[in-house]
Amino acid sequence: MNDDFSDLEAELKRMRPCAPSPELQARLAATLDRPTTPAAQPASIDRAAIFWRSWRWVLWPAAAAAAVALALVVTHQPGVVAPSAGPAAQPVAKTAAEPIAATQADADLYKPVSAENVLCDSRDEGLITLDDGTAAHRVFQRYLDTYTWRNPHTNASLRWTVPRDEVRVVPVRAY
Amino acid sequence: MEDLPDHASWSKWFERYGPRLLLCARQWTRTLADAEDVVQEAFVRFWKHQRGLGGEPLPLLLTSVRRAACDRARGESRRTAREEQVADHEFEGGTLFEPLREGDDRRAEIEAALRGLPVEQRKVLVLKIWGELTFEEIARQLDIPANTAASRYRYALATLRKELTAPVP
Repeated sequence: MNDDFSDLEAELKRMRPCAPSPELQARLAATLDRPTTPAAQPASIDRAAIFWRSWRWVLWPAAAAAAVALALVVTHQPGVVAPSAGPAAQPVAKTAAEPIAATQADADLYKPVSAENVLCDSRDEGLITLDDGTAAHRVFQRYLDTYTWRNPHTNASLRWTVPRDEVRVVPVRAY
Repeated sequence: MEDLPDHASWSKWFERYGPRLLLCARQWTRTLADAEDVVQEAFVRFWKHQRGLGGEPLPLLLTSVRRAACDRARGESRRTAREEQVADHEFEGGTLFEPLREGDDRRAEIEAALRGLPVEQRKVLVLKIWGELTFEEIARQLDIPANTAASRYRYALATLRKELTAPVP
Protein backbone atom coordinates (compact mmCIF):
# COMPACT_ATOMS: atom_id res chain seq x y z
CA MET A 1 0.00 0.00 0.00
CA ASN A 2 2.71 2.42 0.96
CA ASP A 3 4.54 1.73 -2.27
CA ASP A 4 1.45 2.43 -4.31
CA PHE A 5 0.65 5.70 -2.63
CA SER A 6 4.07 6.82 -1.47
CA ASP A 7 4.22 9.70 -3.96
CA LEU A 8 0.80 10.95 -2.92
CA GLU A 9 1.61 10.55 0.78
CA ALA A 10 4.83 12.48 0.30
CA GLU A 11 3.00 15.27 -1.46
CA LEU A 12 0.38 15.47 1.27
CA LYS A 13 3.04 15.54 3.96
CA ARG A 14 4.63 18.51 2.22
CA MET A 15 1.40 20.46 2.66
CA ARG A 16 1.77 22.67 5.72
CA PRO A 17 -1.47 23.32 7.62
CA CYS A 18 -2.31 26.99 8.13
CA ALA A 19 -0.93 28.52 11.28
CA PRO A 20 -3.36 29.53 14.03
CA SER A 21 -4.32 33.18 14.07
CA PRO A 22 -2.24 35.75 15.98
CA GLU A 23 -5.29 36.25 18.20
CA LEU A 24 -5.09 32.65 19.37
CA GLN A 25 -1.40 33.03 20.13
CA ALA A 26 -2.16 36.23 22.04
CA ARG A 27 -4.82 34.44 24.06
CA LEU A 28 -2.39 31.64 24.85
CA ALA A 29 0.23 34.14 25.90
CA ALA A 30 -2.27 35.86 28.17
CA THR A 31 -3.03 32.53 29.82
CA LEU A 32 0.36 30.84 29.90
CA ASP A 33 2.58 33.86 30.49
CA ARG A 34 0.74 34.92 33.63
CA PRO A 35 3.22 35.57 36.41
CA THR A 36 3.51 32.51 38.60
CA THR A 37 5.94 31.44 41.23
CA PRO A 38 9.31 31.60 39.52
CA ALA A 39 10.05 28.45 37.57
CA ALA A 40 8.11 26.42 40.08
CA GLN A 41 5.25 25.45 37.82
CA PRO A 42 6.95 22.65 35.88
CA ALA A 43 8.46 21.16 39.02
CA SER A 44 5.10 21.09 40.74
CA ILE A 45 3.57 19.39 37.72
CA ASP A 46 6.27 16.75 37.77
CA ARG A 47 5.86 16.25 41.48
CA ALA A 48 2.15 15.82 41.03
CA ALA A 49 2.72 13.24 38.35
CA ILE A 50 5.21 11.34 40.48
CA PHE A 51 2.86 11.52 43.45
CA TRP A 52 0.09 10.09 41.32
CA ARG A 53 2.25 7.31 39.97
CA SER A 54 3.40 6.41 43.49
CA TRP A 55 0.02 6.48 45.15
CA ARG A 56 -2.36 5.38 42.47
CA TRP A 57 -2.43 1.82 43.79
CA VAL A 58 -3.57 3.17 47.12
CA LEU A 59 -5.91 5.74 45.64
CA TRP A 60 -7.73 3.34 43.33
CA PRO A 61 -9.03 1.08 46.13
CA ALA A 62 -9.89 4.16 48.17
CA ALA A 63 -11.81 5.60 45.23
CA ALA A 64 -13.56 2.28 44.69
CA ALA A 65 -14.53 2.13 48.36
CA ALA A 66 -15.88 5.68 48.18
CA ALA A 67 -17.83 4.80 45.07
CA VAL A 68 -19.31 1.73 46.75
CA ALA A 69 -20.35 3.85 49.71
CA LEU A 70 -21.88 6.39 47.35
CA ALA A 71 -23.72 3.67 45.48
CA LEU A 72 -25.11 2.27 48.72
CA VAL A 73 -26.34 5.69 49.76
CA VAL A 74 -27.81 6.30 46.34
CA THR A 75 -29.58 2.96 46.12
CA HIS A 76 -31.19 3.50 49.50
CA GLN A 77 -32.67 6.86 48.58
CA PRO A 78 -36.34 6.93 47.69
CA GLY A 79 -37.07 7.23 44.02
CA VAL A 80 -33.85 5.60 42.93
CA VAL A 81 -34.01 2.64 40.64
CA ALA A 82 -32.53 -0.46 42.17
CA PRO A 83 -30.22 -2.54 40.01
CA SER A 84 -32.38 -4.14 37.40
CA ALA A 85 -32.19 -7.65 36.11
CA GLY A 86 -31.49 -6.59 32.56
CA PRO A 87 -29.07 -4.28 30.81
CA ALA A 88 -31.61 -1.62 29.95
CA ALA A 89 -31.34 1.57 31.97
CA GLN A 90 -34.46 2.88 33.64
CA PRO A 91 -35.26 6.50 34.39
CA VAL A 92 -35.64 7.61 37.96
CA ALA A 93 -39.03 8.77 39.05
CA LYS A 94 -39.09 11.89 41.15
CA THR A 95 -40.90 11.61 44.44
CA ALA A 96 -43.16 14.07 46.16
CA ALA A 97 -40.65 14.29 48.97
CA GLU A 98 -38.25 16.25 46.82
CA PRO A 99 -38.20 19.98 47.32
CA ILE A 100 -40.17 21.87 44.76
CA ALA A 101 -38.03 24.96 44.60
CA ALA A 102 -34.68 24.31 43.04
CA THR A 103 -31.82 26.19 44.60
CA GLN A 104 -28.50 26.96 43.01
CA ALA A 105 -27.03 24.07 44.96
CA ASP A 106 -29.58 21.79 43.35
CA ALA A 107 -28.38 22.95 39.96
CA ASP A 108 -24.97 21.45 40.66
CA LEU A 109 -26.30 18.11 41.86
CA TYR A 110 -26.01 14.91 39.92
CA LYS A 111 -29.09 12.76 40.09
CA PRO A 112 -28.99 9.00 39.62
CA VAL A 113 -30.73 8.04 36.40
CA SER A 114 -29.98 4.38 35.98
CA ALA A 115 -28.57 1.34 37.67
CA GLU A 116 -28.05 -1.82 35.71
CA ASN A 117 -26.29 -5.09 36.19
CA VAL A 118 -25.20 -7.49 33.51
CA LEU A 119 -24.47 -11.13 34.21
CA CYS A 120 -21.07 -11.88 32.69
CA ASP A 121 -20.30 -15.31 34.05
CA SER A 122 -22.16 -18.06 35.89
CA ARG A 123 -20.93 -21.49 36.88
CA ASP A 124 -22.07 -24.28 39.13
CA GLU A 125 -19.27 -25.04 41.57
CA GLY A 126 -20.77 -28.34 42.65
CA LEU A 127 -22.59 -29.79 45.58
CA ILE A 128 -21.92 -28.80 49.17
CA THR A 129 -23.41 -29.96 52.43
CA LEU A 130 -25.06 -27.38 54.63
CA ASP A 131 -24.90 -27.32 58.43
CA ASP A 132 -28.23 -29.08 58.70
CA GLY A 133 -27.00 -31.89 56.50
CA THR A 134 -28.95 -30.98 53.39
CA ALA A 135 -27.27 -30.79 50.03
CA ALA A 136 -27.03 -27.60 47.99
CA HIS A 137 -25.49 -26.30 44.81
CA ARG A 138 -22.87 -23.58 45.14
CA VAL A 139 -23.34 -21.21 42.17
CA PHE A 140 -20.81 -18.50 41.35
CA GLN A 141 -21.99 -15.49 39.33
CA ARG A 142 -20.10 -12.44 38.17
CA TYR A 143 -21.96 -9.23 37.38
CA LEU A 144 -20.94 -5.92 35.92
CA ASP A 145 -22.86 -3.20 37.72
CA THR A 146 -23.17 0.22 36.10
CA TYR A 147 -24.63 3.28 37.80
CA THR A 148 -25.26 6.52 35.98
CA TRP A 149 -25.82 9.97 37.42
CA ARG A 150 -26.83 13.00 35.38
CA ASN A 151 -26.89 16.70 36.07
CA PRO A 152 -30.20 17.79 34.54
CA HIS A 153 -29.05 21.38 34.25
CA THR A 154 -25.84 20.81 32.34
CA ASN A 155 -26.70 17.40 30.87
CA ALA A 156 -23.31 16.15 32.04
CA SER A 157 -23.28 12.55 33.17
CA LEU A 158 -21.16 10.37 35.40
CA ARG A 159 -21.01 6.62 34.93
CA TRP A 160 -19.48 4.18 37.39
CA THR A 161 -18.94 0.55 36.48
CA VAL A 162 -17.68 -2.09 38.87
CA PRO A 163 -17.50 -5.90 38.73
CA ARG A 164 -19.35 -7.81 41.45
CA ASP A 165 -19.00 -11.47 42.40
CA GLU A 166 -21.90 -13.30 43.96
CA VAL A 167 -22.00 -16.79 45.42
CA ARG A 168 -25.43 -18.35 45.81
CA VAL A 169 -26.28 -21.50 47.67
CA VAL A 170 -29.27 -23.23 46.09
CA PRO A 171 -30.74 -26.14 48.07
CA VAL A 172 -31.10 -29.36 46.16
CA ARG A 173 -34.64 -30.62 46.19
CA ALA A 174 -35.54 -34.23 45.70
CA TYR A 175 -38.95 -35.07 44.36
CA MET B 1 9.73 16.27 26.29
CA GLU B 2 11.43 19.65 26.59
CA ASP B 3 11.46 21.16 30.03
CA LEU B 4 11.19 24.84 29.21
CA PRO B 5 8.94 26.75 31.54
CA ASP B 6 8.88 30.20 29.98
CA HIS B 7 7.18 31.89 27.06
CA ALA B 8 9.85 30.76 24.61
CA SER B 9 9.16 27.11 25.36
CA TRP B 10 5.43 26.98 24.78
CA SER B 11 5.47 29.39 21.86
CA LYS B 12 8.21 27.44 20.17
CA TRP B 13 6.31 24.22 20.75
CA PHE B 14 3.05 25.77 19.59
CA GLU B 15 4.69 27.18 16.48
CA ARG B 16 5.74 23.67 15.55
CA TYR B 17 2.61 21.72 16.42
CA GLY B 18 -0.14 24.35 16.53
CA PRO B 19 -0.98 24.22 12.80
CA ARG B 20 -1.44 20.44 12.91
CA LEU B 21 -3.57 20.64 16.03
CA LEU B 22 -5.72 23.27 14.39
CA LEU B 23 -6.16 21.21 11.23
CA CYS B 24 -7.26 18.19 13.28
CA ALA B 25 -9.52 20.35 15.46
CA ARG B 26 -11.26 21.66 12.36
CA GLN B 27 -12.57 18.18 11.69
CA TRP B 28 -14.46 18.15 14.95
CA THR B 29 -15.75 21.70 15.09
CA ARG B 30 -18.14 23.76 13.03
CA THR B 31 -16.08 26.85 12.40
CA LEU B 32 -12.47 27.97 12.39
CA ALA B 33 -13.16 30.09 15.46
CA ASP B 34 -14.52 27.06 17.31
CA ALA B 35 -11.46 25.08 16.28
CA GLU B 36 -9.15 27.77 17.66
CA ASP B 37 -11.08 27.82 20.93
CA VAL B 38 -10.75 24.06 21.18
CA VAL B 39 -7.02 24.18 20.44
CA GLN B 40 -6.56 26.88 23.06
CA GLU B 41 -8.41 24.91 25.71
CA ALA B 42 -6.59 21.69 24.90
CA PHE B 43 -3.17 23.29 24.72
CA VAL B 44 -3.54 25.20 27.98
CA ARG B 45 -4.77 22.04 29.70
CA PHE B 46 -1.86 20.08 28.29
CA TRP B 47 0.75 22.68 29.09
CA LYS B 48 -0.39 23.27 32.63
CA HIS B 49 -1.28 19.76 33.72
CA GLN B 50 -0.22 17.04 31.32
CA ARG B 51 3.17 17.77 29.86
CA GLY B 52 4.91 16.29 32.87
CA LEU B 53 3.29 12.93 32.30
CA GLY B 54 5.84 11.83 29.73
CA GLY B 55 5.30 9.94 26.52
CA GLU B 56 4.66 11.34 23.09
CA PRO B 57 2.99 14.73 23.42
CA LEU B 58 1.23 14.88 20.05
CA PRO B 59 -1.16 11.93 20.59
CA LEU B 60 -1.96 13.22 24.05
CA LEU B 61 -2.64 16.68 22.68
CA LEU B 62 -4.82 15.34 19.91
CA THR B 63 -6.81 13.39 22.46
CA SER B 64 -7.18 16.56 24.46
CA VAL B 65 -8.29 18.45 21.34
CA ARG B 66 -10.91 15.85 20.56
CA ARG B 67 -12.22 15.85 24.11
CA ALA B 68 -12.38 19.64 24.14
CA ALA B 69 -14.32 19.53 20.87
CA CYS B 70 -16.75 16.99 22.34
CA ASP B 71 -17.13 19.06 25.51
CA ARG B 72 -17.87 22.11 23.41
CA ALA B 73 -20.42 20.18 21.41
CA ARG B 74 -21.98 18.82 24.57
CA GLY B 75 -22.36 22.31 25.97
CA GLU B 76 -24.68 23.38 23.23
CA SER B 77 -28.39 22.98 23.45
CA ARG B 78 -29.32 20.09 21.17
CA ARG B 79 -26.99 17.35 22.12
CA THR B 80 -27.80 14.68 19.59
CA ALA B 81 -27.92 17.01 16.64
CA ARG B 82 -24.67 18.55 17.71
CA GLU B 83 -22.88 15.29 18.09
CA GLU B 84 -23.87 14.55 14.53
CA GLN B 85 -22.44 17.92 13.59
CA VAL B 86 -19.21 17.08 15.37
CA ALA B 87 -18.97 13.96 13.28
CA ASP B 88 -19.81 15.57 9.98
CA HIS B 89 -18.07 18.90 9.69
CA GLU B 90 -16.88 19.71 6.26
CA PHE B 91 -13.77 21.75 6.98
CA GLU B 92 -15.77 24.95 6.77
CA GLY B 93 -14.22 28.38 6.57
CA GLY B 94 -10.89 29.47 5.17
CA THR B 95 -8.06 27.62 3.60
CA LEU B 96 -6.53 24.58 5.20
CA PHE B 97 -2.94 24.81 4.02
CA GLU B 98 -0.24 27.37 3.44
CA PRO B 99 0.35 28.34 -0.20
CA LEU B 100 2.71 26.11 -2.12
CA ARG B 101 5.75 27.31 -3.96
CA GLU B 102 4.63 25.62 -7.14
CA GLY B 103 1.40 27.59 -7.13
CA ASP B 104 -1.89 28.01 -5.34
CA ASP B 105 -3.86 25.97 -7.84
CA ARG B 106 -2.40 22.72 -6.58
CA ARG B 107 -3.18 23.63 -2.98
CA ALA B 108 -6.76 24.48 -3.90
CA GLU B 109 -7.07 21.22 -5.81
CA ILE B 110 -5.85 19.18 -2.86
CA GLU B 111 -8.10 21.04 -0.43
CA ALA B 112 -11.11 20.49 -2.65
CA ALA B 113 -10.31 16.79 -2.93
CA LEU B 114 -9.91 16.54 0.85
CA ARG B 115 -13.21 18.28 1.44
CA GLY B 116 -14.85 15.86 -0.95
CA LEU B 117 -13.73 12.78 0.97
CA PRO B 118 -16.21 10.90 3.13
CA VAL B 119 -15.89 12.24 6.65
CA GLU B 120 -14.75 8.98 8.22
CA GLN B 121 -12.00 8.58 5.62
CA ARG B 122 -10.86 12.17 5.90
CA LYS B 123 -10.56 11.96 9.67
CA VAL B 124 -8.25 8.97 9.41
CA LEU B 125 -6.20 10.60 6.67
CA VAL B 126 -5.72 13.85 8.58
CA LEU B 127 -4.80 12.09 11.81
CA LYS B 128 -2.35 9.87 9.95
CA ILE B 129 -0.66 12.41 7.68
CA TRP B 130 -0.70 15.59 9.77
CA GLY B 131 -1.40 14.19 13.23
CA GLU B 132 1.37 11.62 12.70
CA LEU B 133 -0.56 8.98 14.61
CA THR B 134 -0.21 5.26 14.09
CA PHE B 135 -3.23 3.24 13.02
CA GLU B 136 -3.52 1.91 16.58
CA GLU B 137 -3.58 5.46 17.94
CA ILE B 138 -6.11 6.52 15.32
CA ALA B 139 -8.24 3.52 16.23
CA ARG B 140 -8.25 4.63 19.86
CA GLN B 141 -9.08 8.21 18.92
CA LEU B 142 -11.98 7.27 16.68
CA ASP B 143 -13.09 4.16 18.56
CA ILE B 144 -12.74 1.89 15.56
CA PRO B 145 -10.59 -1.19 14.90
CA ALA B 146 -7.07 -0.52 13.68
CA ASN B 147 -7.72 -2.52 10.54
CA THR B 148 -10.69 -0.31 9.76
CA ALA B 149 -8.51 2.75 10.21
CA ALA B 150 -5.95 1.31 7.82
CA SER B 151 -8.52 0.49 5.16
CA ARG B 152 -10.17 3.89 5.44
CA TYR B 153 -6.77 5.47 4.97
CA ARG B 154 -6.19 3.35 1.87
CA TYR B 155 -9.60 4.23 0.46
CA ALA B 156 -8.97 7.91 1.12
CA LEU B 157 -5.67 7.83 -0.72
CA ALA B 158 -7.23 5.96 -3.62
CA THR B 159 -10.00 8.53 -3.86
CA LEU B 160 -7.55 11.39 -3.71
CA ARG B 161 -5.44 9.85 -6.41
CA LYS B 162 -8.49 9.54 -8.61
CA GLU B 163 -9.52 13.14 -7.96
CA LEU B 164 -6.16 14.80 -8.25
CA THR B 165 -4.36 15.34 -11.47
CA ALA B 166 -0.70 14.36 -11.46
CA PRO B 167 1.49 17.12 -9.97
CA VAL B 168 3.45 19.25 -12.37
CA PRO B 169 7.05 18.02 -12.25
